[in-house]
Amino acid sequence: MAVVIDRALAPPSPSRPRTSSGQRAAHDHPLWFLIPALAVLTVFFVLPTVFNFVYAFTDWSSFKSSISFAGLENFRSLLSNGSLADALVVTMVYAALVAVFQNLFGLVLALLLERDTAVNRAVRVAFFVPVVMSALAVGYIFQALLKPEGALNQILGFLAGRTVEIAWLGSTTWTIVVVALVHAWKWMGLSMLIYLAGLKTINSEVIEAARIDGAGWWKTFLAIRFPLLAPAITFNVATALLGSMNGFDIVQATTAGGPGGSTELLNIWVFRTFGQGLFAQATTMSLVLFVAVTVLAFPVIRTLRRREDVL
Amino acid sequence: MKNPFLTVVAAATLAAVTLTACSDPGAGDAGEPATASDWPAQDADLNGITLTVWAAQNSNKVPESVVSAFESSTGATVDVVTIPDPYEQSVQTKVATGDKPDLAFWQPTASQLTALNARTNLQPLDGAPWLDSYSGDLRGITGILDETRYAALITTPAVEGVYYNKQVFEQAGITETPANWDEFLAVARKLKGENVTPFFDFGAGTPWATQWWVQVQLADAAKDGLWERVNQNQEKFTDPTIQKAIDSYQGLIEEGLFNQNLKTATFEDQGAALLAGEAAMAIQVNSFFGQLQSLADTDELNEKIGFFPISPSGNVGTFIPDQSNALVAFRTGDAEREAAARQLLSFWLGDGYAGFVEAQSTVSLQDAVPTPAGVPQALLDVHASLGDAVGSMQALAVANPDLYLNLGDLIQGTKTSQEVAEATQAQFAELAKAIGTEGF
Repeated sequence: MAVVIDRALAPPSPSRPRTSSGQRAAHDHPLWFLIPALAVLTVFFVLPTVFNFVYAFTDWSSFKSSISFAGLENFRSLLSNGSLADALVVTMVYAALVAVFQNLFGLVLALLLERDTAVNRAVRVAFFVPVVMSALAVGYIFQALLKPEGALNQILGFLAGRTVEIAWLGSTTWTIVVVALVHAWKWMGLSMLIYLAGLKTINSEVIEAARIDGAGWWKTFLAIRFPLLAPAITFNVATALLGSMNGFDIVQATTAGGPGGSTELLNIWVFRTFGQGLFAQATTMSLVLFVAVTVLAFPVIRTLRRREDVL
Repeated sequence: MKNPFLTVVAAATLAAVTLTACSDPGAGDAGEPATASDWPAQDADLNGITLTVWAAQNSNKVPESVVSAFESSTGATVDVVTIPDPYEQSVQTKVATGDKPDLAFWQPTASQLTALNARTNLQPLDGAPWLDSYSGDLRGITGILDETRYAALITTPAVEGVYYNKQVFEQAGITETPANWDEFLAVARKLKGENVTPFFDFGAGTPWATQWWVQVQLADAAKDGLWERVNQNQEKFTDPTIQKAIDSYQGLIEEGLFNQNLKTATFEDQGAALLAGEAAMAIQVNSFFGQLQSLADTDELNEKIGFFPISPSGNVGTFIPDQSNALVAFRTGDAEREAAARQLLSFWLGDGYAGFVEAQSTVSLQDAVPTPAGVPQALLDVHASLGDAVGSMQALAVANPDLYLNLGDLIQGTKTSQEVAEATQAQFAELAKAIGTEGF
């Protein structure tokens, strides 16, 4: 997905003068320069995606060597046993929660660390560290912290003066929120960075004019800075939403889809089913995920881009 | 398409897709199944040959001693490669993409051999030289699919049964271990009356031990052909036999016989709790004892931990061979390496076996090789219970549905016991259909 998003969000490149462009372009950067990149893209992105479509309509499994066409059988069984609807709902809820939390945290951090002081620079780095950490490592660390006898409860117990034994990852209702918070925590540094960049591009004259007009910090933020952050919001919301729909590692490490299947994202389901040897069913589900992400990506990005038109 | 370059790329992609679209990359060019294999001498020269053995994180130390003995006696090089957990899923995925080792640790049950597509991917091991050395009934207990042997059993197969804390039993004045399911529950209720937690199980993470509670209750039915009927779709998980076992598990939980933190406890908590006497009993398999061995030495284990098998009507164990118990040899298409792999197996269960059980401190499967002295009593009891044990779902059913996960959902309250049976049956039918089982 990253490829699609990058392309959709990349700023339009300044167009070259049309005169004699064909000649010079062919000379400066002949098209065959693209071949290595395209080859990699084809082998690792296009082909798997195409296969994803093909295998979803077969009975491919680990149990036999032959693969035959199965029509819509896989879709029918996914729909009839309810696993498609369940996993889709969980995935959507998770993605929405992550998008909200990650952007909220990122924006707050960006506003707090906006000024270029030495302390702020160091703190920015600190908040960016989780972004480059292994997602599985993050997941396992939080799993340990959030255990009933884990560090978080011990800290709470110390503050409250009595034993606290909250099973943070044990609620079939709230655990998805906790895991979404962990996901947002890991990626908030990236959102922060992009919001910081967005804040920096705001013309200081506009801010100054607002201040002279008597607008306070809050008024300036609501009326000027937040609307002017629209491009950063587009990028952050789209990547958070679509990235967390593809989420797997953090959830696998913290809850593995539990408790009671309440955090079983599409990808966890795909992983589990593939492991059972039902390759075709797993492929069908990942096709559903692909379609869901695509179907969601276009309206979301279009709507967010439209917000930018006021600029 | 005006751009000639894009046209070429599109055409190439299309060609690649059409050429490879519907062939299983895992199938390779294995051709017809091999018939009677020849078995090289155990010490035949193998200079210049490299064998790869796949092992899981909990079995990668098992081959150490036997492999080095084999290397020095034959000149072969053996690489033991650790495949990350979840082992079975990772191996299946690799094999599906055409990546095969020469040998791998593998659960020798019919359902798991089917999952590897044994007929195409594995070497048949019929007529292997070590088969006659197995003690008692061990030769026929497992490793066979459709009357062909595909797996070599190297250590004693796991048995589902009750591990209990001897000291807790003693303090409660329980001198005899229960002789059937009713007595087992009577003991549990007596313990609860004395404010001891009778049972410990775990519902957090991957709650894989939940299924033992249902399976041991099915031991009598399994002896009576339950799984054959399930395999033929003549009996379902939703029919009374299995449904009742699930209901009764739920009943025990509701009665408060399990640990308070059942929903959030993990596998690691279970071993620690039993050892510390915080709970009296756990229905578990051999790998649980492995966990105990990492927490305490043999003397302490002999003093504290005992084992007895349980079934509705008596003390019949339910055996479930696991991945660390057996090896399979792959058909790699390289005749020389395939023969070398068979040679390693005959050495392992032949000249190298005494050294192997000594180094592993494990129960010997052969009459001619004595079991070393340091093996804990509970493990000896587990091995002794194998004689009249019945097969588990994994051993006898054609497919292995996620019964444990569904039971985990039962613990968490997201599934009722009827829904557990329905979901398990649906998964079983789905797998059986993919396998091509008649009746599905």
